[in-house]
Amino acid sequence: MVSVLQRNNVKIMGQGRQPMLFAHGYGCDQNMWRFITPAFADSYRIVLFDHVGHGRSDPSTFDRARYGTLQGYAEDVLAICRELDLEDVIFVGHSVSAMIGVLAALQEPRRFSRLVLIGPSPCYINVDDYVGGFKREDIEGLLDFLDSNHLGWSSTMAPVIMGNADRPELGEELANSFCRTDPEIAKHFARVTFLSDNRSDLPKLAVPALILQCSQDAIAPEQVGRFVHESLPGSRFVQMRATGHCPNLSAPEETIHAIQDFLHDPVPTKYAA
Amino acid sequence: MSVTIGQGSLIETAEELYENAPCGYLSTLPDGTIIRANQTLLTWLGFARQELVGKNFQDLLSIGGRIYYDTHFTPLLHMQGFVNEIAFDLAGAGGRPLPVLVNISQKRDETGRPLVHRITLFNATDRRQYERELLIARRKAEEASEELKRLNETLEQRVAFEVAERMKAEEALRQAQKMEAIGQLTGGIAHDFNNLLTIIVGNIELLQRRLPEDAGRLRRAAESAMQGARRAATLTQRLLAFSRRQPLDPRPVDANKLVAEMSELLRRTLGETVVLEAVLAGGLWRTQADPNQLENAILNLAVNARDAMPDGGKLTIETANARLDEAYVAALAEPIPPGQYVLVAVSDTGTGMDKATMERVFEPFFTTKAAGKGTGLGLSQVYGFVRQSNGHVRIYSEVGEGTTIKIYLTRLIAADQADDEVPAATAATVRGEGETILVVEDEHELRHYTTETLRELGYAVLEAPDGQAALDIVNRHPEIDLLFTDVVLAGGLNGRDLADEALRRRPGLKVLFTTGYTSNAIVHHGRLDPGVNFIGKPFTFADLAAKVRGVIDAGAAGPASAP
Repeated sequence: MVSVLQRNNVKIMGQGRQPMLFAHGYGCDQNMWRFITPAFADSYRIVLFDHVGHGRSDPSTFDRARYGTLQGYAEDVLAICRELDLEDVIFVGHSVSAMIGVLAALQEPRRFSRLVLIGPSPCYINVDDYVGGFKREDIEGLLDFLDSNHLGWSSTMAPVIMGNADRPELGEELANSFCRTDPEIAKHFARVTFLSDNRSDLPKLAVPALILQCSQDAIAPEQVGRFVHESLPGSRFVQMRATGHCPNLSAPEETIHAIQDFLHDPVPTKYAA
Repeated sequence: MSVTIGQGSLIETAEELYENAPCGYLSTLPDGTIIRANQTLLTWLGFARQELVGKNFQDLLSIGGRIYYDTHFTPLLHMQGFVNEIAFDLAGAGGRPLPVLVNISQKRDETGRPLVHRITLFNATDRRQYERELLIARRKAEEASEELKRLNETLEQRVAFEVAERMKAEEALRQAQKMEAIGQLTGGIAHDFNNLLTIIVGNIELLQRRLPEDAGRLRRAAESAMQGARRAATLTQRLLAFSRRQPLDPRPVDANKLVAEMSELLRRTLGETVVLEAVLAGGLWRTQADPNQLENAILNLAVNARDAMPDGGKLTIETANARLDEAYVAALAEPIPPGQYVLVAVSDTGTGMDKATMERVFEPFFTTKAAGKGTGLGLSQVYGFVRQSNGHVRIYSEVGEGTTIKIYLTRLIAADQADDEVPAATAATVRGEGETILVVEDEHELRHYTTETLRELGYAVLEAPDGQAALDIVNRHPEIDLLFTDVVLAGGLNGRDLADEALRRRPGLKVLFTTGYTSNAIVHHGRLDPGVNFIGKPFTFADLAAKVRGVIDAGAAGPASAP
């Protein structure tokens, strides 16, 4: 029986008491927080983890049915919280993990004090009046791309985790050694991520949230961030100068400041009770 | 120092090397904005320089590639400062795709802040083609391996199936061999018995003829002895039937007619508590079988059925046309040819039987009936008769439900044989008129009985104990009218050999065969050769009288006696 901490390769650091739980997005692993976490390590208890199939998680625990929706990933987040007995959690989620954090906080709102949502999107596909940024065929195109890019992928991205357990050094030697992903799981995660629609979950959230919106983010365009902001009553929306989808990597200082501002603000009265 | 030839320098400038390198070069800002591109890439993409510069590198990617880039490579670039060998399709002029392998490295300032992305692009058109072929090959290999795995599994299943089939066949063979062995044993016993019975019956008949009319008690004793002997003869007939060595007299048979004519006999046999129902198929084919034996078989089945229904029930006799296909006959332990058969089925609503019983039920003397209630030969007769007739018999039974026994007899196709129901030889009054008969029989007592009987009937009788002696007599006695010989003789020549040789020397000589059983010589596969004159043992005085007279009176020599 693999423990939750092994399954999700949970790492804990920092001097503080209040936990900050960082969740990476699609295509990466906990390494993506490397420029952010040092700024909080003195005051908070930093908890990092890899989603199953990513980084150094245990891919043998992957289950297509369990991870067939984002809810499965939210269960993992809660399992980590329970295992470490985390309370008053500040959840920092990037990209798809922003929504995973929302789902977890809906299920156990008392466990979370604040959510930081970096580049969130509740629905990547345009539906009726809603603009998610992608047409359905775009997402099918991505899935095709992942299929046809298998060789390029395996030669660059995937120090194949599964089936290579007896030669772990192989992974270390490969050039692109961050953000390991099992190709098959990554494809599945891509499908689950980009075909998800959790818009109706947003208004139910009862935890203060910060939305960090990048400029020129092709994955989560500005109107999507604004939709999230409008759907989350009392949420704070910060339009960043940083471009692209990964401000935590491309603009760590700006990201850190935005998070610190949010954490230092008093809790809005709506949530004070 | 520079070396020049004509207008051009042999030493290329870095600029020339950059522009004309065998790979594409791009420089972009950290956000992807293209600030420089070399000529090689412009040529590959089909863009003018001003078309490309100012654009975003991500804009050259498909949406899938763009997402891939943003989610995977941007983080990598930021974390490790480079990415290598990423497979992308760039959109060239007019949307024409250019497969490339991309290396990107970040140039950073002294504080580590990224300044510029240096992008090297290799034309991967050929490589992509190889990759596609490789993928297809791998998929095929996987499919082949999968197929092989399936085949292996199938093979295992087939082996298991074949082994099971083989074991079933061996079991069936064992059963068949057991039946064959029992058949030989009973056949042998019955043969000897018949010889003995012939003597017993003959001598009782002699007694009956010679005893004075007023010797009432002795006559009754003789009559009683005769009844016992006849019952013994019936038993041996059944044994012979089981051993498939009874001489059969197959004729065209209408099974419907045969069953209908038996109904009165059956009703009497079954008694009042058993209802008889006959379901006779219209348009039933004719079959070729010994009608007497078929009647016996049906009667035996009816008796068994009655005994299986002590509290009454229903006996159904059905007839039908049936086709036994290749698959069906292939599964039989005792094979028969596939084709058209006439089915006679006898079903009861009795106690039924379990599997173990079913396996043994055709064995002679196997009986489920109380001691003294049955001989254990009824079903043996059915089995022997059907097998000897090249037919097939099948039992279906459920304990508590009842039993059906199905007899399949070959359909008679040829219509050349008339439905001749020759009346059995009757009356003992046909006598000899001094004709000469040569009796050949190796068993002394039997020969004695036969010669005595024939003399009594008015014939002149010569006798020989074996074939050679018989031929000598044939040579010396041209007056011989009939050769009456046992089929099985001691001393080299069998009855058929003897007959053949005698006919060679005396064309036109009439021949009558007799035997308790016979395997090959005269009764081919248990059937009478057409035209051969035959009398089965044990024969009675009357039988012999009628047969001998009939053969001698018949016109020219029979077909079998033609040289």
